[in-house]
Amino acid sequence: MGSTFHGIETAKRGLYAQQTAMNTSGHNTANASTKGYSRQVVDFTPTPAIESTGLNTSTYSGQLGTGVDTSIERVRDPYLDSQYRNQSKDYGDWTVREGTLSKIEDIYNEPSETSLNKVMDDFWNAWQDLANQPDSLSSREALAEKTLAMTDAFNDTDRKLEDLYNDLDETITLKVDEINNLTQQIAELNEEISKTEALGKDNANDLRDQRDLLTDDLSRLVNIDVTENKNGYTIKMGETELVSGNQVTTVLDANALPENDIASGELHGYLVSRDEYVQGYRDQLDAMVQGLAEGEFELTIPAGTVLPDGTTLTQTDGTQTTYTGTITDRTVTSDTTVKVNGLNGLHQLGYTLQEPATAGTEFFTTKDGSSTFTAGNITLNPDIKNDSRNIATSTKTYMDGATEKVLSGNNELATWMASVRDKEVIFDSTSSGSSTIAEGTFDEYYESLIGGLGVKAQDAERQVDNQEVLLQSADSNRQSVIGVSLDEEMAMLIEFQHAYNASSRMLTTLDETLDKLINGTGVVGR
Amino acid sequence: MRVTQGMMNSQLLRDYNNSLEKMYKLDEQMATGKRINEPSDDPTGASLSLRYRSDLEANAQYQRNVDSATSWLNYTDTAISETNDVLQKAREIAVQGASDTNSPESRKALAAEVDQLYEQLVDIGNSQFNGKYIFNGQKTDQPPYDYQNAASTTPDQGEIELEITQGTKVPINTSGAGVFGDPSDTDNAFKVLEDLKNALNNDDTQGIEDSLANLDSRLDKIMQEWADVGGRANRVDLTDNRLKNEELNLNNLLSENEDADMAKLSVELSEAEAVYEASLSVGADILQPSLVDFLK
Repeated sequence: MGSTFHGIETAKRGLYAQQTAMNTSGHNTANASTKGYSRQVVDFTPTPAIESTGLNTSTYSGQLGTGVDTSIERVRDPYLDSQYRNQSKDYGDWTVREGTLSKIEDIYNEPSETSLNKVMDDFWNAWQDLANQPDSLSSREALAEKTLAMTDAFNDTDRKLEDLYNDLDETITLKVDEINNLTQQIAELNEEISKTEALGKDNANDLRDQRDLLTDDLSRLVNIDVTENKNGYTIKMGETELVSGNQVTTVLDANALPENDIASGELHGYLVSRDEYVQGYRDQLDAMVQGLAEGEFELTIPAGTVLPDGTTLTQTDGTQTTYTGTITDRTVTSDTTVKVNGLNGLHQLGYTLQEPATAGTEFFTTKDGSSTFTAGNITLNPDIKNDSRNIATSTKTYMDGATEKVLSGNNELATWMASVRDKEVIFDSTSSGSSTIAEGTFDEYYESLIGGLGVKAQDAERQVDNQEVLLQSADSNRQSVIGVSLDEEMAMLIEFQHAYNASSRMLTTLDETLDKLINGTGVVGR
Repeated sequence: MRVTQGMMNSQLLRDYNNSLEKMYKLDEQMATGKRINEPSDDPTGASLSLRYRSDLEANAQYQRNVDSATSWLNYTDTAISETNDVLQKAREIAVQGASDTNSPESRKALAAEVDQLYEQLVDIGNSQFNGKYIFNGQKTDQPPYDYQNAASTTPDQGEIELEITQGTKVPINTSGAGVFGDPSDTDNAFKVLEDLKNALNNDDTQGIEDSLANLDSRLDKIMQEWADVGGRANRVDLTDNRLKNEELNLNNLLSENEDADMAKLSVELSEAEAVYEASLSVGADILQPSLVDFLK
């Protein structure tokens, strides 16, 4: 048997519930454009009926309802979250890679009229010009200048790549800090959420939204696996556990990253950019410069060539012959094909303009005195820079009295130097694999380098486009579930408003009924 | 599918961005006139561009080499022509001197003339082109002949070769030994003139006759050298034509490879602009209303 005032309690519950619903609609509308917000719905459930089986069962039939109870829940689908995060990591990875490759393309600046290709063309042409006028000092100065322009361009390209490398290095440190920061916040939220929800009645909706937003951010940075248990999110990166409950289990160190576990995300993009792309293209350029200075190629030395004193020729079959003594002793008697080590080796096979006849020295030297040439350290031999007569062009000498003099009109060495452009040069003598092609001409090498860069950059652009579409679709799917629809909220608001009004009306009706009962009954005989 | 305002918004923003990105690419191609601005625009095309540019640079250099070779050969041609003139003149004198009507005095006068021709010939032998002695092989920094010992001098015979196309070298110089003769040759030009001068001075008609024969034989050899220089000049000239054709071809290839098709580009650009404008106006229509606008 219900109480007299039962209906008042029921109406009150109705008022509260509709008010909660209206407030939630207000909350949804207010957060319609909040990032990471998932819409909340009020779950209405009837409170237990007053009649239940037991001793107090009345004689009335029927279960009298007692009103409504509410709980607020967010609309979210963890499956869509994990889909989004999967796409997000690859999108992050490829965006970074594409950015780096595009920067490397800018550094090489091909095809253009002001690139490495152009200064190398100029260099070879300067040798041809010198071959046309081997004893002309102005042609010699021009060659020295063109050589410096080329080595400067190599130095400059290398410096820009090095700057890019250092930038990436710093960015990796920043990204690692960002990851550590995010994992720390997620661990804190894990704790707050589990405290809030400990009583089992309240849902920490907004805290959960925050945690999911941070997890989304983290998924862009690095590949993560998210699992949920009663302590909150457990987050793993490959085999490395980052967060468990309220603990950050691994704080990443930029200098000791578990690289095997980093498979995607921006951090992976930066690591690949730094170690594979930038370092790779520096190595490729170094191999080319090393090939230019000392890379082995074959050359046929014609009979009649007078070799400088002490020259050792290595024939293609490995036979070595050393030439010393008088001009006759040092004259090559028959055409001989030999192996020459780069422009440096070739330059030493001829004579400069100096008197008495002097053999050429190394054409290129390193700025830092190192024995290996790199794009960063190659430069023209300072002796040649200071006195362009030290450029060797001639391969013949003659005796003038007791003095050996150079035949200055002979341009043979200059034509050989110019012809190296079309020689098959060995770039990768140690089979390190760091050169673009192991053997070929300089033009071929550089074309492959630029072509390879173009293919990589193009592929990265395509990947970014693909990932963008996939990420957008995952995002749309998710937004379709969690996003706030203003139309929907407005419609529901009207519904809740009417329900609220009706509950109020119910209260008025009860009031009138009781008024009748209390003040209008029992007046018989008054 | 449930659609929210937020989704419409971000979809529109993405569409705008796509349209803008497309216009940016087209604008870049318009501004540079190039289809390939970065290797990634077309990796194969970019490699080809590098190849064509290098080939063009090399071609320009070979054309410069050809110019050098041509001017050197032309200069040699002139010098040989002068040599021919001098020896023809000497021959006329010899013919005149051989005639019996000449008195010893008139022969002496002719001898003085021959002496002048001799000095002229030595000067021709020491011709310089751009400061280089053209008849002294690779010893271009030294004069091959002097007035006293010209007849007993062997000039250097080294060939100077220029590369006129890849791997093709052409010798541009002619040794004095070929034009004027070795010291051992009986018809050495300097020796013949000296002999002729002596024979005229000594009134030695037999000597004059001998010199005449030697002069003819030398003139024949000079003709051969002359033809040889002409032949080389011809060859260089042909190469020049070929290089110029090749330059034209390479320029065409380069342009086909990397130049943008302007007509096509402007059509594409106005198309992209139209799409962009359309999506903007659609956006303005879609974004505005929601149920809020219709509730009282």
